[in-house]
Amino acid sequence: MKRTALLLAAMAAAAGAPACELPPGGQQIANRDGTLALSYRPDPAPLAIDRPFSLLVHVCSRAPVESLTVDAHMPEHRHGMNYKPGIAPVGVGAWRASGLLLHMPGKWEFLFGVRVNGKTERLAHAVLVR
Amino acid sequence: MNATRARRLAPLLASLAALAVAVSCAAAPAVGDAGRLLDFSDAERQAILAHGPWPPPLVPDPSNRVSGNPEAAALGQRLFFDGRLSANGRVACVSCHAPPALFADRRKVSIGLSAVDRNAPSLVNVRFARWFGWDGGSDSLWAHSIRPLTDPREHGIALEQVATLLATDPDLSCRYQKVFGRDAAGVSTETASADAGKALAAFQETLVSIPTRFDAFRAALERGDGAAAARYPENAQRGLRMFVGKGNCSTCHVGPLFSNREFADTGIPFFLAPGIVDPGRYGGIVRVRQDAFNQLGRHNDDPVRAPGTATRHVDLQQKNFGEWKVPGLRNVALTAPYMHNGSLATLREVLGHYSELDEDRLHADGEKILRPLRLGEAEIGDLLAFLDTLTSPPPGLMMDLLPTARAREPCR
Ligand code: HEC
Ligand code: HEC
Ligand SMILES: [Cu+2]
Repeated sequence: MKRTALLLAAMAAAAGAPACELPPGGQQIANRDGTLALSYRPDPAPLAIDRPFSLLVHVCSRAPVESLTVDAHMPEHRHGMNYKPGIAPVGVGAWRASGLLLHMPGKWEFLFGVRVNGKTERLAHAVLVR
Repeated sequence: MNATRARRLAPLLASLAALAVAVSCAAAPAVGDAGRLLDFSDAERQAILAHGPWPPPLVPDPSNRVSGNPEAAALGQRLFFDGRLSANGRVACVSCHAPPALFADRRKVSIGLSAVDRNAPSLVNVRFARWFGWDGGSDSLWAHSIRPLTDPREHGIALEQVATLLATDPDLSCRYQKVFGRDAAGVSTETASADAGKALAAFQETLVSIPTRFDAFRAALERGDGAAAARYPENAQRGLRMFVGKGNCSTCHVGPLFSNREFADTGIPFFLAPGIVDPGRYGGIVRVRQDAFNQLGRHNDDPVRAPGTATRHVDLQQKNFGEWKVPGLRNVALTAPYMHNGSLATLREVLGHYSELDEDRLHADGEKILRPLRLGEAEIGDLLAFLDTLTSPPPGLMMDLLPTARAREPCR
């Protein structure tokens, strides 16, 4: 919670970052110029292979977010998931991506596409799932 | 060997331990010396522990309201063995899923009314799957149980015949009434078929294998009992190390079932005849989407269709051509021949396939997981010794789950 606030404060100072606060407890990532921050949390937690799950995603952005995409892949194995997540808004700046399944142990990467001002920002976050 | 071991043990335990070692040696084929525990790393231990515990929780299938119901399992057992559910009166599920063959048939490809083009998988532990059939063409055990009935090469009947049999045979209609609380004569053909599938599924859910020497080893590792773990043959330990390590096998053959319950391309040719391919998982996804009995349809008994998540989200991709379900490996030593088309006769041939893998046969954009392993003779022996420890000791199945006694009693 505190860390989030600090992080956002730092980013705000640097580049006039989003005027919102991400909920605590999730994984947080931001784009390079700090105009966009995102947090995600699996449900059920923790991440495990071979089990369908959702990701709850919150986005803080200066301009309104037009749409969000969520995907995952294994960069070393060069394949994605066998499932296509469904995305539904669940409040202001919040989405639920459902129907994900990580089918192998190893290094996965979540891929987020955030569409703002007609442009898609891509954010990635690597996780090791055993 | 027993004598040397006994001398090393505390006197009080000596006779008991010697007995235990003698019993386990007698029950299992010789796979090598027991006594030393390899220095498994933390990562290796973690990977090994992920293959258990066994059995997983026996959770009822929410899409099948008679899942776990012993009366339903008894009805399912009757249907499983009933040749009247076929065009010639002689084909039953048991024709290709026979108990002495662990509910498979030991054939390369199965033969019902005529030959099919795939190998019959063992039905032991089938309840733990997510997708059913080598192509995952069904999304529940009960939906898959309806499929062979209408296949012209298998049972070759119309579903009306299922409904009629349930409604007119005195024993079956009595059991149907007991299980489903209504008269089979009063339901539609489609509903009667779904119910038959659900009873067949309830029976197949009772086919659960008992823990193996591997499970005993895993449990010993988990509780930190080095002495008990050391009883697991050393060549099997080396094979296991290869399986979770250099061999990369547990990337796909993972978890308590030794399967991730998904699909992969291992470069097994899938030509049925020149120019004709079995589309594998690609065809399975097309099929499951069209299936009137799938998890998104009205026969799913779960009010919120939660078990439909995988079906709702499954993604049809070009890479699905040539992909097959990753088979579980419990009792694999007893279920030759292997692969979706039964094309490999022995486990040694399967290991030879992975060892000399023809990478050109894998899809160009395929998964970068499999590489030719170029295994030596000793490594093949170790892997075989390991796979052999996945065999359940007699009687093989958890007998107390089986509904046989109830199925024998006449229904009233
Ligand atoms: C002619 C032989 C034959 C008959 C008869 C037959 N099966 Fe099968 N069974 C097979 C084959 C071959 C497969 C693999 C099918 C595939 O990949 O599509 C299979 C697959 C299955 C599977 C999926 C197993 C898995 O691990 O995915 C189940 C469940 C099953 N059969 C149940 C039944 C039931 C119940 C019946 C009777 C209603 C039955 N079978 C009748 C040959 C047969
Ligand atoms: C990329 C995923 C993957 C990896 C890695 C993999 N397998 Fe497999 N395995 C499969 C698939 C898929 C099949 C079924 C192929 C088919 O039917 O054509 C299979 C089949 C088998 C079978 C035959 C089982 C049966 O009932 O027919 C055995 C035994 C086996 N694998 C052992 C191994 C071993 C040992 C390794 C490591 C050397 C390994 N596998 C690595 C996916 C994999
Ligand atoms: Cu992978």
